[in-house]
Amino acid sequence: MNAPVSALTPGPLVETDVVRVSLEAPRGRLSLRARGELAPFDVALGLTLPRKIGQRAAGDGIEALCLGPDEWMIHAPEAQVGALLSACATLYERHPHSLVDVSGRETTYVVDGPGALDLLSVGCPRDLDRILPGEGRRTVFDGVTVILWRDGETTARLDVWHSFAPYLSELLETGSRELAADAAAAR
Amino acid sequence: MLLIHCPYCDETLPEAEFTYAGQAHVVRPADPSGESDADWEAFLFLRDNAKGPHFERWRHLHGCGRFFNAVRDTVSDRFLTTYEAGLPRPDLSTLTEDQP
Amino acid sequence: MSSHRVAGKGRIDTTRPVSFTFDGRRYSGAAGDTVASALLAHGVHLMGRSFKYHRPRGPVTAGSEEPNALIGTRRGPGRFEPNTRATVQEIWQGLETTSQNKYPSLKWDVGAVNDAGYMLFSAGFYYKTFMWPKSFWDKVYEPFIRAAAGLGVSPSEDDPDRYASRNMHCDVLVVGAGPTGLAAAHSAALAGAKVVLVDEHAEMGGALLSDPDVQIDGAGAWTWLASRLAELRALGVRTMTRTTAIGYYHQNLVGLCEKLTDHLPDLPADTPRERMWRVRAKRVVLAQGALEKPLVFHGNDRPGVMLAGSAQTYLNRFGVLVGKAPVVLTSHDSAWFAAFDLADAGAKVQAIVDTRDSVRDDLRAGASARGIEVRLSHTATGTSGRLRVKSLRVAPLRADQVGAATEIACDAVLMSGGWTPSLHLFSHTKGSLTWDDTQTTFLPKDTPEDCHIAGASRGLWGYEAALVDGDKAGREAAQALGLKIAAGRFEVAQDRTGSGVSHRELPSDRSPARSKAFVDFQNDVTAKDLRLAVREGMRSIEHVKRYTTNGMATDQGKMSNINGLNIAADALGKPQPQVGLTTFRPPYTPTTFGCFAGYHRGSHFEVTRKTPIDGWAEAHGAAFEPVGQWRRAWYFPQPGESMDDAVRRECRATRESVGIFDASTLGKIEVMGPGAVEFMNRMYTNPWTKLGIGRCRYGLLLGDDGYIRDDGVIGRLGQDRFHVTTTTGGAARVLNTMEDYLQTEWPDLDVWLTSTTEQWATVALNGPNAAALLAPLVEGVTLSDDDFPHMSCAECTVAGMPARLFRISFTGEVGFEVNVPAPMGLRLWELLWERGRQYGITPYGTEAMHVLRAEKGYIIVGQDTDGTVTPYDTGMSWAIGKKKPDFVGMRGLARPDLQAPGRKQLVGLLSEDRSKLEEGAQIVFDPNQPVPMKMVGHVTSSYDVGTSGRPIALALVEGGHDRMGEIVHIPMPDRTIAAKITPTVFVDPDNARLKL
Repeated sequence: MNAPVSALTPGPLVETDVVRVSLEAPRGRLSLRARGELAPFDVALGLTLPRKIGQRAAGDGIEALCLGPDEWMIHAPEAQVGALLSACATLYERHPHSLVDVSGRETTYVVDGPGALDLLSVGCPRDLDRILPGEGRRTVFDGVTVILWRDGETTARLDVWHSFAPYLSELLETGSRELAADAAAAR
Repeated sequence: MLLIHCPYCDETLPEAEFTYAGQAHVVRPADPSGESDADWEAFLFLRDNAKGPHFERWRHLHGCGRFFNAVRDTVSDRFLTTYEAGLPRPDLSTLTEDQP
Repeated sequence: MSSHRVAGKGRIDTTRPVSFTFDGRRYSGAAGDTVASALLAHGVHLMGRSFKYHRPRGPVTAGSEEPNALIGTRRGPGRFEPNTRATVQEIWQGLETTSQNKYPSLKWDVGAVNDAGYMLFSAGFYYKTFMWPKSFWDKVYEPFIRAAAGLGVSPSEDDPDRYASRNMHCDVLVVGAGPTGLAAAHSAALAGAKVVLVDEHAEMGGALLSDPDVQIDGAGAWTWLASRLAELRALGVRTMTRTTAIGYYHQNLVGLCEKLTDHLPDLPADTPRERMWRVRAKRVVLAQGALEKPLVFHGNDRPGVMLAGSAQTYLNRFGVLVGKAPVVLTSHDSAWFAAFDLADAGAKVQAIVDTRDSVRDDLRAGASARGIEVRLSHTATGTSGRLRVKSLRVAPLRADQVGAATEIACDAVLMSGGWTPSLHLFSHTKGSLTWDDTQTTFLPKDTPEDCHIAGASRGLWGYEAALVDGDKAGREAAQALGLKIAAGRFEVAQDRTGSGVSHRELPSDRSPARSKAFVDFQNDVTAKDLRLAVREGMRSIEHVKRYTTNGMATDQGKMSNINGLNIAADALGKPQPQVGLTTFRPPYTPTTFGCFAGYHRGSHFEVTRKTPIDGWAEAHGAAFEPVGQWRRAWYFPQPGESMDDAVRRECRATRESVGIFDASTLGKIEVMGPGAVEFMNRMYTNPWTKLGIGRCRYGLLLGDDGYIRDDGVIGRLGQDRFHVTTTTGGAARVLNTMEDYLQTEWPDLDVWLTSTTEQWATVALNGPNAAALLAPLVEGVTLSDDDFPHMSCAECTVAGMPARLFRISFTGEVGFEVNVPAPMGLRLWELLWERGRQYGITPYGTEAMHVLRAEKGYIIVGQDTDGTVTPYDTGMSWAIGKKKPDFVGMRGLARPDLQAPGRKQLVGLLSEDRSKLEEGAQIVFDPNQPVPMKMVGHVTSSYDVGTSGRPIALALVEGGHDRMGEIVHIPMPDRTIAAKITPTVFVDPDNARLKL
């Protein structure tokens, strides 16, 4: 059986010649749902919420990714979560919305190295080249919903609900070693 | 595995990101309790079994999460078009198999 | 050097000898050999026995279409694979191979008695023979068929290999790396497309590997091949060998099976044995070439009889002469070149026997220059030899009359009945075919996919034609993607063009009834069988196929389809296109289950979700059960305890002191927005408007048909905010349903749903000591009946952790559910575990939870309901808001059938003999009625390990609510059990235990 959730601690999971997978330290995560006028939220959050699905924006320590027509995932330092919740709460009467703290819901893998996209292609059926560096998407990896943040040509983050992490860690580890073996055979 | 165009994401993506959600344009009556037994039966149970273009709903579950409508030809298993929930039925005579 | 190896010929590396075994005997070969080529190099043709008649067989081909030379391969424990084609399997040092369908040995096989009885084993034999008497089926027929059926032996051990899968996207996928595919990949890549080129062989080049004398662009074929491959790689083309395109699916999704280790002597760590690629290509070029057809004549299956093109491959690619004195039997020009190549390599070609009455002058000149006897207008009527062909019997043909026969002594017969374009993948696309009378074959016509087919697979012949057509296909594929490129130019000298005619079975002077002229070698189907099938009434080619099994073996009729069609069409007196072709289906070649399964085996078999407390449960010896995608702690056996013992102990401890339970898997949804109350009113049966902040209510969710779909406790955390819980298995479904109504029926509501299932770890404490244990840890709430009564909720702090605290019970005891952020869940659990020791705290699993709730009559949706049960049926009309204008299911509940008397209703059952009833057991009112009895319900839940002192059960019984105290009967295989109908609550009906 694969590892328990509690055994998955921040730090490297697997590192090979072609790709490195690690688990990020906990971070603040907020799920924002809102319609209509978004400018007040831009002010409250300190960034301009991207209006197009897949686009990202960053502010002072925080990042937002547009996931759906009225949905954003916001990453922020844990210490800022309370302030962001309060700032948006003051908007609620005039700009009804839903802002839910989901910091405990998810865990993030960092996938890094020349084999990063190949590793993701083990589980993702969509064409990853069409998620440009600096963009992100919610998609599916080996049957599990994930949020993929493409940070660079060879770097990406993968947010998953933590109950899936033991299952996904196993495949990320197997896949990383397989890619390294492929690279060794090609040399 | 089919390719499906999500009208909200404006991307054509593998079927694995989507789930099927039944026939489209079956509208829940505003006052169900005012419906006759026959009308309510039709709403609950009676569906088309089209050979050819079929109006149906899909959800971009592993994506933007939106339910949307589609016209799929049940003979060729090709999508003719997809469009946002709430929009009227498109004119079938204008559709070809070249969805975006 | 081996007896049949030709020095200086072939692409194998004779400086690297490789030894392997076949049926226990050691053979040596060279790096680059297949099992077939290495055995042929030793003059060994006999490699197997046929499936039905156990006739001795040798390889007929040199490729994946091989029907005869099927072997078992072994690489230590667990690594055995039957039905491997010897013509494809590469040898490696230490490979163990065995022949199949033989007993006791390949040379002396008792099953060959079937061959003598061939008159009995004709088409439809099984259908006709195993019909009656019925009593013979179990004892006689089935064991016989099972023993006789199948090809190799199934592996019996776990497969220790790993398998992989990956997704790939490209502009142009080219299938087949012969001249056509190479040209297509080149022009597409030159135009700027991202190209992937795949080939099932160990090397790229296709037919070029067997025709080194062809000159392309001034260089020998192999030189040209090497430079072209280097150029393709420089252009960024991804080239994949040992990779078979097994299927062509919707919208240009092509499945590739890549074999990574079957050719290696040592298995590299971390490399899977096979990898399934799911390639989504914008355009696909099919360049799979053509497959040579055998000629159909008596004795055409004897070892040593093989396809002429394959003999040419064995010579030029593997440096093996398949015979030193071969005779060539053909109806196509291509075999003449095979004769020439073998003659030039030192074989004494006995004759070229051609069925045609005239042949091109240059071919006749070539034969004459080599001193090869030519016999035109000849047919073959038989072969001789037991384990190897010794002679070919030929006879002149004059106006279809067979003249006097003569025998030609030989050690091999190289036959060619022409070529069949490989249309398998094209047919997977639902592509239409058109019959070509000149070539007597089907050619590709239209396809609905973005697909090009080129070269020999659309009937073109000769290298220049293939190169030009491949170049054009690659160019057109690029053009379709908006890329432009000029036509390539190819200068081909010593091209091997040709044509031929096609036959049914060859004319013979032999009685058709006594002729064993094979069409499908692997399934032992003869021309006679096909004609018999037609005589017996089969009209469609699909019926002929199934009646005779022609084309149904592992080679999927690659060699037999067209010959079978020609014969069936002749027997039916119809042209071939009117008879039609059977359907090609994936996979193109046999593919392992491992390759399809990929990573999904063992611990990665399916998605498995774990709670933050799962590791603790495992460390404390929990047994687990799957619930939806989750694995949940089922019970916690102590040493020596049975499951019943453990569950009984867990139940008692919870009723007597305090039990702790991991409820983290419960679905949780944050419902937030100004429309939240209205949404809840519309969604659930219950009224929500008057539920106070800090209070909870049991919510019941129906479908619009009026049946129960889900349930759960819902807390109101604010004016516009609800904490909804769902069943574990229903969480995703409920959220989907809610989103559906919200997005498509009620877009007017300003409310949003967020899944918080995994935001919170949920620890449930139940029992008389639950409050005493928890109270000292809680800040912000006083755990008393006054301040925090049953069905309360609050946001507070527990042991310093931010928490959502619920006072609710699914056991009938005082209960609390503490939700803390998931990463803190284990810490909370361990703290409660530590502090609970003074109360003898006991962890309980899902089984004890089921027992405790059943004793209180609480339903489990999906166990006590089955999608046809209403709230009235379960006695829960109290949960329905009577004054609401509408909710999902309200109109459904008013349907006449849901109001009708005599519906099955949920009741308690107590067996009269105090035995435990079986869940799912059917119930009758009158046990003495004649069979079939009228069933009036079934047992939904049943336990005998609870605290009520006797076995209890819940059941759905017709009109049950009006039958309290009545006796019903449960017929079981050995007896009939009487049981009394009771209310559903067995413990504490007054809810006194819920008070502190």
